[in-house]
Parts: sequence; C-alpha cells; structure tokens
Amino acid sequence: MTDENVLRVQGISKSFGGVTAVDNVSLAVKRGSITGLIGPNGSGKSTLFNLISGAEKKNPGGSIEFEGRAIDGLPPHRRSALGLGRTFQTPRLFTGMTVLENTMLAPRGQKGERPFVAPFRKRWEGQEIELAKKAQEQMTRLEIDKLYGKLTSEISGGQMKLAQLSTALMEDPKMLLLDEPTAGVAPRLAQDIFQSITDERQQKGTTFFIIEHRLEVLFKHVDTVFVMHQGRIIAEGRPESIVKDKKLIDAYLGS
Amino acid sequence: MLSGTAVGNICNVSAMLSRESIALAYPAISVSVWVIGLAFAMLAGGIMGLVVSYPALRVKEEWFLSMILLVGGETFRIVVTNTPQIGCGFNGLAGITTPFYWLSSYFPSGPLQAEVPTGLYAAVIVALALGCFVFAQKICNSPYGRLLKSIRDDKVAAESLAKDVSRVRKQIMVIGSVMAGLAGALYVYYIGVATPEDYIPALTFSIWVMMILGGFANNRGLLVGTFVITMLDRGSLVSGILLQSYLANLNPNLIVYGRYMVEAVILLLLLVFRQKGIFPETRIKTKAYTLFDFKKNNNAEPSNSPGEGPQTGGAASG
Repeated sequence: MTDENVLRVQGISKSFGGVTAVDNVSLAVKRGSITGLIGPNGSGKSTLFNLISGAEKKNPGGSIEFEGRAIDGLPPHRRSALGLGRTFQTPRLFTGMTVLENTMLAPRGQKGERPFVAPFRKRWEGQEIELAKKAQEQMTRLEIDKLYGKLTSEISGGQMKLAQLSTALMEDPKMLLLDEPTAGVAPRLAQDIFQSITDERQQKGTTFFIIEHRLEVLFKHVDTVFVMHQGRIIAEGRPESIVKDKKLIDAYLGS
Repeated sequence: MLSGTAVGNICNVSAMLSRESIALAYPAISVSVWVIGLAFAMLAGGIMGLVVSYPALRVKEEWFLSMILLVGGETFRIVVTNTPQIGCGFNGLAGITTPFYWLSSYFPSGPLQAEVPTGLYAAVIVALALGCFVFAQKICNSPYGRLLKSIRDDKVAAESLAKDVSRVRKQIMVIGSVMAGLAGALYVYYIGVATPEDYIPALTFSIWVMMILGGFANNRGLLVGTFVITMLDRGSLVSGILLQSYLANLNPNLIVYGRYMVEAVILLLLLVFRQKGIFPETRIKTKAYTLFDFKKNNNAEPSNSPGEGPQTGGAASG
C-alpha cells in the first residue's frame, strides 16, 4: 500500500474556551513536496502546526496520520522521533547554549546522550566529530557559522530564525513543519533560506510544510498551497491558481 | 517489626558502646558494614530520586519543584524525628564509627589515636567526592550535558527535537539522588551520629547559596562556592569556640550562628550584582568546537566577543 501522502489530517478541530482556532480541518501533504500554508494572522495556522506536532492536543474526533500511522495519541517527542520535525514562529532556542550547541543537540540517536555512555568520551567522540562536520556545513550554508560560539540569547531575531532552521535540518526529518522561516530575516537571506529548503528537498527528499507571509518568495518554491481563514481551509491549489482565487484575496483583505 | 525493647536496645548508651567496641575489634566487619551502608544509602537515594521524579514531571516551573522537594524533605525529617522506630528518632543513632576506627588500637593513646582513622577516612571522602566531581564534569561535557541544558532552557523545544524529556528528568534525579545518598552516608560515618536534626531546611539554603555563589552550570564554580560556604560554616564553629577562651564575655553563639547572617548578606549581594553567580556558565567542551575554533584561528579573525572566545581547557574564571 503505497501512499503518496506523507501527512494526512482528517477532520481535526481545536477550541480554546469558546473560540474555535482550528475548525474541522482536513488536508493531505504529498511526500517530497514543498507545501505552503497561508492565511491572515489569527487564522489558526500555527495552532494547526501545534496539533500536528503534538505541542497541543486536538479536540476529540478526527485523526492525524504520518506515514500511514496514526500519531494523534503520541507525545510530541515520539512524533518527532518518527521524523516529523518542526520550528516555531517565535524561535524557541536553548538560550543558555551556543549556536553550535543548539545545532549539535538536534540529531537523534547520539550515543553520548545516554548518561552511562557519556562519561566515556571515546565511545561517542567519533560520532560527535562527524556531526560537527555536518553542523559546520549546515551553518555555513545558512551563514551562521561565524556565530558558533555565541549564546542564542545574544543573536538577532533573524539569526535566531536561521539557527532554528539549522537545528531542525540537523535532525534529518522526513517532514519539517516550518512556522514562518523568513520572518525577521533580510530579504536576500529569505531567498537563500528557500533555496536551502529546495536543495534539501532535492538531496534528501524531505517534505516541507511551510507557514509563510512572504508570498512572493513562497510562491516561487512551493508545489501546493493551502489557504486558511478563520480556522478552516478555504482553498487549495497550485500557487498560480491561488493568486487568482478570489476567496484568498478576500481573506487577506478582509471581506 | 521492631518492638519497643528492641528499639531501646539499638538506641541506648550500652548499644552505642558495644557498636564502638565491635568496630574496634573486628576490622573486616567494620569496613564491610561501611561498604554495605554506602551501597544501601545509594540505593535508597536512587529510589527516593525516582519517586520524587514523578511530581517533578508534572510541574511546569522548576520553582514549584523545589518547593515540593523542600516540603517533601521536611515532612520526611519530621516523621523520622518523631518516630523512634526509625533511626532512634530525635536523638538519632549514635556510636557510628569511621570504617578505620580499629586503626586506633595500633597507636598509643594520644592525638594520633583519634586523628589517624579520622584523617584517613577524610581522605577517602575527598577521593569519592573527587570521583563524583569527575563523573559530573564528564557527563556535563558530553552530548548528555547538552541534553540537560536544552531541557532546562525549553522543554517544549527539546521535545520537538525528539528528546524524551520525562526520561531524562528521571535519569538525572536518580543520578543526583544516588550521589546525595552517598554523601549522606559518608557524612554520618564521619560525624558518628545519624540524626534528622542535621538536615534542617537551613542546609538546603546553604547549598543554594553555594550554587548561586559558584554559578549555575559550572561545576568548578560550584566547588569554589562549596568551599567558601563550608569554610564559613566550619570556621565560624571553630573560631567561636576558640575565641571563647580569649574573650570571656563573648557569647560563642554570636559567631556560630552569625554565619547565617553572613550567608544571607552574600546571597543578597549576589542577587543584586551577580544573578548568574561569580563564575559564568561554561560552554560544553566537546571536540565539536575544535572544528570551528581551528578554522577561526587559521583565518585569524577577531573574536566575536571576548567573553565567548575559544576556551581550551582551563576554568573560565571571571
């Protein structure tokens, strides 16, 4: 049974008190695609990401499947361990750690992360150096390699975005949910970020699901776009058709 | 179950004296009871750590956790104090000798008789403390150290990177509690009495001052903090007694308990001027940095910030 969809969301909702942030959303994301999720502020995009990643619990009913497996009962770290990575709209970095330490934290299956292996440096150092090389390439590509020794509390907002992306990519996820990866980043670097995303997809077949407000950059790189408005998916399609969609224009301008 | 008379038998003076005479006559029993005692203390500590890790997993803020642990510790202490069946209650279990007490029979009566066993035992304690320190340094300067810091900084983000936060919290609570159990057992054998009155909340705060003084996430700094506060603690006790023989009118309590005031002043000064402690948090020293530091040194670029420059070994003392 081959499923071309890596992620399948079926009729999920989320209410906070009386407000329904995500309202009966169903969608499917194709394996290896770059898929956009757009919509005005407060339309429920980030909440949808939180439900998929497990940072928040959905209302009873509906289902979330990742790679054909129901994940809505799993805690966030188990979902991430299956290869479903994410970043946050407001970067959530480890502020007491340097940019390099943040990036080095991400890879799964580090031998030295077990407390009784950790004291024996020889048993994990080889892996550490391999990962450090990978981290260096990653950070150089995102132009944050010179910041390696800075605490993430000392860098700018844009640099934080990049450090977070670098950390998320180090995990080698099968699918990555990116919440506004270019917000607060210089325009030229925003292009580079999307170029990195495209390269990553090319090389590793990673699926990207991206919330983004910079439509001009997003539309150049995505295969499909979902439009969200007031907690619902109101449109889905290729970027060129979405641009012409009247519902989208209404949603953004406010009808 | 212990009957009332059995309790009396453990706790009274003749029991205390017979414990001492057994320790003096049978070196093998003395040492092996000590080893077994340490092992049980570590086991008990580990179990306690595992038990208290469950509330630790439920609270969102570390401060609530410290309150829970403090209250839990106090409850335990009060229960032990008022239950003679456990460790002889308020009076504690006396007549616990160091594992080298039997050595004193090899020395003529005089200061050496008491000092050699105690000194040797102190050396063993220092060696074990050093072992714990090295262990702590090694696990901190490893990917595990990174994992611990990440959970401290942002639990949700750590989970989003597939880190099993609950598991790591349990692990570290158990490791810390095993060390605490070991320390407690070593201490009891050193001072010769196991009494709940030694573990009043003031001790928690003294340890807290040691940590704030040394700096968080800096083991070397912590060593300095511990040294300063312990010297203050022991020094005030000894000097209070010594000064009494010179100054007849001096109330030694003024000096002995004055240390709490000094500690409080240190704490206040630190909270105002150095919230992060005297020594800054250290970078996690793994080989990962060598790649970057090497590149940077080769390009001979100016350091980004003086405080965060490459550190190769050596304490980052401020």
